[in-house]
Amino acid sequence: MNIAISLVCAALALGGGMVLGKRRPGLWLGLTLAGAAAILAASLLVLCGPSDWEWRSRIAIGGEPLHLRLDGLSALFLALLGAVGGLGAIYSREYWADDHHADSAPRGRLWWSAIMLSMGSVLVCSNGLHFLIAWEVFALCCFYLITLDRGRAEVRAAGWLYLASSHAGTLCLFGFFATLAARTGSWDLGPMREHANLAPLFWLALCGFGVKAGLFPLYIWLPSAHANAPSHVSALMSGVAIKMGVYGVIRFGGWLPVPAAAGWIVIGLGSATALLGIAFAFAQVDLKRLLAYCSVENIGIITVGFGGALLGASHADAPWGRVLLAGALLHVWCHGLSKALLFMCAGSLLHSTGTREMTRLGGLWRSMPWTAALFAFGSAAICGLPPLNGFVSEWVVYLGLFGAAVGRGTSGWAAMPAVLTLAVAGALALASFIKAGAVIFLGAPRTEAARNGRESGALMRGPMLAAAAICAAIGLAPLLFWPAIARGVGAWNPAWAAPEAPAPLLALGTVNVGLAALFLAAGAWLARRAAANGLRRGLTWDCGFAAPTGRMQYSSASFSRTTTDWFGWIIRPERSQQRPRGPFPAQSHRIERIPEAVLERVYTPAASAVLRLATSARRLQHGRLQFYIVYVAAGLAALAIITFMGRI
Amino acid sequence: MITSTLEFFLRLSVWLLAAPLFPGIINKVKAWVAGRRGPPVLQLYFDLARLWRKGVVLSTLASPGFIAGPAVAWIAILGAALLVPLGPIAGSPSFRGDVLLLVYLLAAARFCTTWAALETGSAFEGMGSAREVSYAVLTEAALITAILALSVQTGSITLNGMLGLSTGAGAVLLAAGLFTVLLSENCRVPFDDPNTHLELTMIHEAMALDHSGPPFAVVLHGASMKLLLFMVLLSEAVLPLSRLAPLAASMALISAVAILTVGVGLVESLLARFAFRRVPLLLTTAFLMCLFALLLAWKGDTQ
Repeated sequence: MNIAISLVCAALALGGGMVLGKRRPGLWLGLTLAGAAAILAASLLVLCGPSDWEWRSRIAIGGEPLHLRLDGLSALFLALLGAVGGLGAIYSREYWADDHHADSAPRGRLWWSAIMLSMGSVLVCSNGLHFLIAWEVFALCCFYLITLDRGRAEVRAAGWLYLASSHAGTLCLFGFFATLAARTGSWDLGPMREHANLAPLFWLALCGFGVKAGLFPLYIWLPSAHANAPSHVSALMSGVAIKMGVYGVIRFGGWLPVPAAAGWIVIGLGSATALLGIAFAFAQVDLKRLLAYCSVENIGIITVGFGGALLGASHADAPWGRVLLAGALLHVWCHGLSKALLFMCAGSLLHSTGTREMTRLGGLWRSMPWTAALFAFGSAAICGLPPLNGFVSEWVVYLGLFGAAVGRGTSGWAAMPAVLTLAVAGALALASFIKAGAVIFLGAPRTEAARNGRESGALMRGPMLAAAAICAAIGLAPLLFWPAIARGVGAWNPAWAAPEAPAPLLALGTVNVGLAALFLAAGAWLARRAAANGLRRGLTWDCGFAAPTGRMQYSSASFSRTTTDWFGWIIRPERSQQRPRGPFPAQSHRIERIPEAVLERVYTPAASAVLRLATSARRLQHGRLQFYIVYVAAGLAALAIITFMGRI
Repeated sequence: MITSTLEFFLRLSVWLLAAPLFPGIINKVKAWVAGRRGPPVLQLYFDLARLWRKGVVLSTLASPGFIAGPAVAWIAILGAALLVPLGPIAGSPSFRGDVLLLVYLLAAARFCTTWAALETGSAFEGMGSAREVSYAVLTEAALITAILALSVQTGSITLNGMLGLSTGAGAVLLAAGLFTVLLSENCRVPFDDPNTHLELTMIHEAMALDHSGPPFAVVLHGASMKLLLFMVLLSEAVLPLSRLAPLAASMALISAVAILTVGVGLVESLLARFAFRRVPLLLTTAFLMCLFALLLAWKGDTQ
């Protein structure tokens, strides 16, 4: 009952925010925060409570009776929505304030409330038709949020690309839900594992939801949309919106029977997504594109976990499958929070310097110490370094994969390559974030913009600090969050519903706390020792250069050169250069571009081939009446011949 | 309880006190092969003591991370080392999956070292860090394959359970692969030359160029612990130490580490540093050797 009240409150607050928020930003913030709090309350009530919440009503929308359901799995995603949605709303008050964006800020508030409402509806709707409606509204809200700054051409292009890809995915979902309804005779959703003939539908769901989640090679919309959207929107999209795709795959992979090959394919897709996503991320020069590609990688990790869970479920509910699903769900939270933090840091940078290009920045730790520290923290969290949250979730995923490998069953052949690719992806993630953090915040400023950076205000710092605090809490006290994850796992597969945590999690939490304390103590101790011995400031040595300039530093492209070449077969970097020649070199240049290889080399040629075909077909339609009469006559004659032949 | 506490402090003191000995032995071997007298075996101890008392010169560009980085990296390496059993003495804390903590702690150390190196904005440090993180991609693949091979062979995911058992054909491959990883991760020849200081082609020394005083001492001590960590890991991955009596196991471990140290010294004396474009090839070979060890473990009997 309390859950219903919370959900109604959330809907009322968010709806009220949509109606009243346009002119009154303060009221909107209050209402959105109330909505986020109510969302969090509802999901926590389910996650910590004994049972799910379900409500069937006789009210019909579109001819279908309303059926709402909030179980452990959807509550996990709902909690993430509440947290990131609320933090992003606070952040947007300063980041996208009315003073600077008089036109788009009110629209932004409207769509922010709308997207929270629609994502919440996707999570609670348990009727195929209503799910589709909510899904479509959610996709549209996303589009309007991406194109808030619609005066810029690249924003519009990113928005259109998103809209087109999203609808391609929705098309698959139409097919999926329509076939589902046709085969079961009802639009109602719920566990239906006993209908074995529904298994092939899993592939449709995987394609449809995979576009939103950003699985390889369906992720093409993701980098440009994340890069061009305002940063609080990128945070919400990367933190929560792409997780809706993950939710869809996990939800229907659990409710519906799946084909025998599903686990293998999903784990393979996840590995490929993780590896290629992070390889692309490392090559990027645009910070927000780097973060977007890193989201692709993390979706890959989640997908590996989920694929392992499918495999485990098909191997007599093996215990390692449970661990893998728990790791995947925990990683949904961990990535959502740390990526939201990183996108908010990126927004803070963009706010202060006006550029996303890392090589134009540098040395910003001095003017933006909070952002620098939080970015370093977020980087460590997303690279999975102990003692933070990313480490815990990746560790749980590895634990499951090792469990599958050690069992020496056939599933080991899926688990071992996944372990290898995740290890390589982990090393590349570390490289990417070292590059981003160092090029932006360390060293000397490379441009005037970087020299004049200034720290963002309390309304932007506050949400960043809060996100970092939750990241630290998950890392230091994983057992505290385990019951919620266990509820999600139990909702997916009742055979894995046991609430107790895998034993090592307690040990890991203790070790993490110890490590955190030791890290702090050692840092303080060494700093004290250094100060006691005497500190002196001097120029960076740099092989005897007397006056180093910012442009002598390693740039983001030079940092990732080696690895970009290893992955050159898919990244396809475009380079052109003119070396300095002669004793008095007149001019020289070097231009490097990292294209959106999959989009530019695969999708664009395919799309233009289709367009060419369509254009040549249009030649038939030229507006000359006499030819149209000939077409009609020819058509009639052909029909007559067919009929005549048929009669013989 | 008392025994385990005593054992813990014994291991702690081995890692803290004995680690700086091995770079000294390597240098002595190199000097011996070259026919020089060489620096004393305890040179690193003298250096550390001297650096610990010295003042610090900070780059004008460096943030507090320049000093915090080495400290955190040092703790991470020490933490990773404490997880590893030392011959008959089991590592602690020990739990299912602690081997992954070891891998991630080494990654955390790398993160902090490279972060601190990049603080100064020097192109040298940029170069060194870029190489460090790029080659780490391959060494991490080889390391995790080796770990996977060990855990498939022993059926265990704890360091105490998977080390000290391995024998057979896979062990030879594993030894070769892990030895290459050891050389790369600790920046020895043929990947890096720890003796040069003005080379455009170095990795680890380039990253430590601007460190001085106590932070530099911590960097050097951490590097020596990491070297010892990899030598111990290699020895215990290959030798069936757990089948020996405690004293014999300790002696076997000590002699294995000594042989490895001399081996590193000999490699450094007899081999030139590779051109950088050949480094990935060598690391891929190491990865493949670990991969074959994994396949052998998969095919072999469970222990």
